Amino acid sequence: MKKEIKIGKLKLKNPVSLASGTCAYGEELNGIYDLSSLGCIFTKGLSLNPRAGNEGNRIVETDSGILNSIGLENVGLESFIKNKIPYLTENSITYVPNAAGHSIEDNIEICERLSEIDSVRAVELNVSCPNVKAGGMAFGQNVKVLEKFLKQLRPRMSASLIVKLSPNVTDITEFAKCAEACGADAVSAVNTLQGMRIDIKTGKPYFNNTFAGLSGPAIKPVALRLVYQIYQSVKIPVIGLGGIKDTGDAIEFMMAGASAVQIGTMNLVYPETGRIISEGIDSYMKENKIEDINDIIGLTHRLKGEL
Amino acid sequence: MKLISKPEKISKDHYLLKIQYQGSDPIPGQFVSIKVNEGTDPLLRRPFSIFDYSENELKIVFKVAGKATSILQNSALPENTDISGPYGKGFTPLENSKVLLIGGGVGNAPLHYLSNKLRKTGCNVTYIYGSRSAEYIYCRDDFHKCSDSTYYMTDDGTDGEKGFVSEKLSQLIKKEFFDFAYICGPSPMMKLCADILKAQNINGEVSLENYFGCGIGICSGCTVKTVNGNRRACIDGPVFNINEILL
Repeated sequence: MKKEIKIGKLKLKNPVSLASGTCAYGEELNGIYDLSSLGCIFTKGLSLNPRAGNEGNRIVETDSGILNSIGLENVGLESFIKNKIPYLTENSITYVPNAAGHSIEDNIEICERLSEIDSVRAVELNVSCPNVKAGGMAFGQNVKVLEKFLKQLRPRMSASLIVKLSPNVTDITEFAKCAEACGADAVSAVNTLQGMRIDIKTGKPYFNNTFAGLSGPAIKPVALRLVYQIYQSVKIPVIGLGGIKDTGDAIEFMMAGASAVQIGTMNLVYPETGRIISEGIDSYMKENKIEDINDIIGLTHRLKGEL
Repeated sequence: MKLISKPEKISKDHYLLKIQYQGSDPIPGQFVSIKVNEGTDPLLRRPFSIFDYSENELKIVFKVAGKATSILQNSALPENTDISGPYGKGFTPLENSKVLLIGGGVGNAPLHYLSNKLRKTGCNVTYIYGSRSAEYIYCRDDFHKCSDSTYYMTDDGTDGEKGFVSEKLSQLIKKEFFDFAYICGPSPMMKLCADILKAQNINGEVSLENYFGCGIGICSGCTVKTVNGNRRACIDGPVFNINEILL
């Protein structure tokens, strides 16, 4: 069975990975199951300097989902390199750092520094975090801003570039096409959908930032549609995420065009979801006599017209 | 781990659950994490502190407060409930000391297990049990059995004295010496008590009742501030020293 996926310089032994912000730096989940059995993990969004994250409420459950406003709390680039990478490499965990700097300059420095590290084959660029005032989604909601940003960044980094797209735009394919044109090796889609909650006792927003990011099974149909549309508009690989809870969901994303998938919110609920889906894809391929994972990727597009 | 009984009502809105557990003794203050349903609504697991433990049987007390605890209260097939843990950093065990335990509402639960342990290690336990009103007070006899002196404080005066646990705390520390205090309850109550203790140079610990995303340290949803920077309540706590945590 062929399950390996190649995304630029990044080689994944299988298409299952964990989403940034839902697996920290791998240490906790690797105590529960062997993370080296996965394609890779996308570690928590990094800023140049450590970030304390947002004040006030940070997470709340919604119907079949969660709203979060963590605000990119992270250890910062230096501590990541010094204290987190050694653990990942010692445990043979394939990882992709996620760059979430304040400014274009910060992100360039983060991507440049990370590219110098042998075990960093690719960096995921977060231009879609809805929970920080500077940086984040500000880069990913205006095609011209994104283009200017990526054109400066791309020549400065030797690692492969994966651009994580925001669903909070009118036409996500414009952003995917822009990323491709600027030399991105892949896009991941999608980050959280912007949402909110109001405390009816006070009439005030539940989150200090008013808006927060919605994730979990509630957003899956929307995320799936966006992945399907992106696959039609670009040639670079799409990494699909958004509410994947089981093997069936992961297969759906791959049929819509995802070369790989990220498990996010469900790591919080069932920490072993990544392992279960990875094994589930094996079983699915065996049961359906699928020899090559590429036969699943984008299948729905190839069947178009066959009703 | 699996449930071995249906929820037993122990006071207004409060229920006791028995769980089969094999493993080393949980530390008082640790919690178990329960997924109350198989589907996605409610989605997240819920943390419950340990009320008691002996011979492979662990007990928790929960208060019906929302969707998940309502499901737990009515669970028709309790053996299918998904339970993991125990997780988190518990209370510091002391020996041969005079200690004060202060609980508010459902927050009394972990202090019951702690109190039992402290009595076994030669501590003299004074217990202040806070509740909105008499009808919410649960397992009265059990709390009596595991403390040397017990005081009840209710908001409406329907049991014990009318007033806050912090008022009783202020009275007691004026006339008695305590080596250490353990507190669990709503945040404003814990802050008030911790401030009173710190002003008298009495050391102590609080167990936080934060909203957890994952309960295993991966989401940073329960981050709290301490004098040493941010900490995750679920994995670095839920128990913190009153001189460390910024309430």
